[in-house]
Amino acid sequence: MQGMIYDDQRSEKVILDAIKLRILQGDPIVHNVKNAVFPKRFRGLPVIQDKDCPENCRQCLEICPNQALSLNPLTLDLGKCSLCGQCAEICPQSIIDFSNDYHLAVNKRENLFISKSIKKIAPEKASQLIKKYFGQSLKLRQVSAGGCNGCELELNALSNVNFDMGRYGVEFTASPRHADGIVITGPITRNMAKALEIAYNALPSPKIIILMGVCAISGGVFQDSKEIQRQFFETHKIDLYMPGCPTHPLTFINGLLDFFEKKE
Amino acid sequence: MISLKIQNAEVFSISQIPFLEKKEFFDSLIKELDNGLRMIGFFPPDPALPQRLVAILSDSRTSFIHIIGGILDKREFESLSSRFPQVFNFECELFENYGFLPLNHPHLSPVRKENLNGNQPYAFYQIQSNEIHEVAVGPIHAGVIEPGHFRFQCHGEQVHHLEIRLGYQHRGIESLILKASPSKKILLSESIAGDTVIGHAYAHCQAVESLSETQISLRAQTIRSIAEELERTAMHISSLGGMSNDIGLAIASSSYGRLRTLVINSLAELCGSRYGRGLFVYGGVRFDFSKEILKTILSNLKTVFQDIAEIHKFLFSSVGSCVRFEKTGVVSKEKAEAMGLTGQAARSSGIGLDTRIQHPYGAYRYFPVLLNSLSSGDVFARAFLRTLEIEESMKFIFEQVDSLPEGRIKSEISSLPPDCAVVSMTEGFRGEIVHSAWTDKKGALMQYKIKDPSFNNWLGLSLAMEKTAISDFPLCNKSFDLSYAGHDL
Repeated sequence: MQGMIYDDQRSEKVILDAIKLRILQGDPIVHNVKNAVFPKRFRGLPVIQDKDCPENCRQCLEICPNQALSLNPLTLDLGKCSLCGQCAEICPQSIIDFSNDYHLAVNKRENLFISKSIKKIAPEKASQLIKKYFGQSLKLRQVSAGGCNGCELELNALSNVNFDMGRYGVEFTASPRHADGIVITGPITRNMAKALEIAYNALPSPKIIILMGVCAISGGVFQDSKEIQRQFFETHKIDLYMPGCPTHPLTFINGLLDFFEKKE
Repeated sequence: MISLKIQNAEVFSISQIPFLEKKEFFDSLIKELDNGLRMIGFFPPDPALPQRLVAILSDSRTSFIHIIGGILDKREFESLSSRFPQVFNFECELFENYGFLPLNHPHLSPVRKENLNGNQPYAFYQIQSNEIHEVAVGPIHAGVIEPGHFRFQCHGEQVHHLEIRLGYQHRGIESLILKASPSKKILLSESIAGDTVIGHAYAHCQAVESLSETQISLRAQTIRSIAEELERTAMHISSLGGMSNDIGLAIASSSYGRLRTLVINSLAELCGSRYGRGLFVYGGVRFDFSKEILKTILSNLKTVFQDIAEIHKFLFSSVGSCVRFEKTGVVSKEKAEAMGLTGQAARSSGIGLDTRIQHPYGAYRYFPVLLNSLSSGDVFARAFLRTLEIEESMKFIFEQVDSLPEGRIKSEISSLPPDCAVVSMTEGFRGEIVHSAWTDKKGALMQYKIKDPSFNNWLGLSLAMEKTAISDFPLCNKSFDLSYAGHDL
């Protein structure tokens, strides 16, 4: 800039101010990502008690906005559940409850069906080949295909000083050409179906697909919309499912750590 | 002038609207717009009577909402966009959704669809010259961000025209809401824009509660407002962090990021979700403050309140950031008014618009907030205004948690009345959110229109880019921080 004078005193002050901010920042990172403390009201893994439902009671099915529940036996599909918790509130026998467990990622769609016998879910370990390719460093390209910006906010939060996913070698890239995998958010709208396919094809093989959020996994609250087009899933195999609405950053990190058996 | 005057969230019978002949309808509409009213809705309220139109206008000076009805013999009319640019997008939407043809429209373009009609590819606005080059960006962008397409007409570095085409996020929320169960309706309204969960859920619940004449306790209203201010604080901090990041000031960006985490974690203490999902229910809220939760939230907010002042000071005293912020992406007051900009973007251009003040609702009726506005209309104004609004929001929260009124947090809701309608407005962190619900003769919803502030403000971004360097686009974009999903519905 013409005419601007840089004096030594001023630049010293700027550096001191920056150091002051850094000290103020303290140590905000979540060190223990596997056993973090969550707010009491956080709704994580559903727990279904080993009790019989009252005869003809369909209250939870009726209130569920996403048709995530089915009876005989009572099962909750975490791939459809927005974790609103209304079924737990309305259940006269308190059979359904939501725990604080945020370890929700799996690698098989059928493992998202929660019934009374299931107390814990986790992805199976990745094959040796996948681990060899992606186990050390993993670069991801995200595509929002109708996402409301909830999951996008949480993905961006993964790079902040609290969650800092970069410490595990996982980062987001700008170009799909530089990516090892794609993270899809949103129910896949008709208007984004083609762009998603193009972006996916631009990724070099081998590549993995991660679905983030209940909309991507099943369409979620938009599953009946005429404006969504989910043909993408007929031809592509999904490697990881990250349920939630939106998926919590620590759910995402733990999903990757468990899948690739990365050290914490 | 023949129109129905109502207030924010006041229920009225559809038969109260005088439906005028075409000429009279447009004459009154032009007169009202000439008087400085802002259009907040323009659509046919009854799908069974597709010839009928209503225009909803808000008057910030009297706090009234004017509703003008008209019956058109044919579904075409002389476009008002050239005279009143704020009508531009509403006319395009009328054409796209309901087939009303605005004759002599300056540039009829799709709002959420790929093409205007049929398979004929849409022709972008182009400047024909050997020296102009075109830059196309999107729908998929370089970062973790929603999709949208930007088409620049540039001469060297300088942008002469920016056309923004959206619709990639269109999920059909308005039609889904009509048939949804009550719990699904709320979830849908929370999913209009994932960063304005509280703002939209509030507007939706307020619409349904007004229609069914449900009284909300002051305690529930206060909890709602506290949540809304928490959301505003968090998202403004988020925007400031984004802007710091765009100018390469990593220390400010990461510090803002850290403070935002504290604010959204406070929302999670209240309702279990970092973005406020699950808090709203018809008749009130689902979660109450406990002593323990209040203590955690207050201690979080106190840290934010102290630390944020230091970060603001660092950001706005840096020569580098002031060079990038000041006089970049200017939107003059005249242009902002003509374009019908709203909320944060309008207040940065010297227009004192705030739904909480001009159309007060809920707890804001009893505990008003202060209006903040700046006049320079540049990136600096849009950044600095956020710091003022964060301070105001946090003061509001500190005052309210100190004197939370007693009461039940949820009341019972009755069924919707037949042939009635309501216009429900709230102030999200971007600006005025309008939900308008119309019931048929059985009391079921027959029309539900949603207007996110982004619907107006995307055009503001186009204006800001005029005669601005294309390299400043990311910064300008972040200074508006608009929603793609909220626009696309």
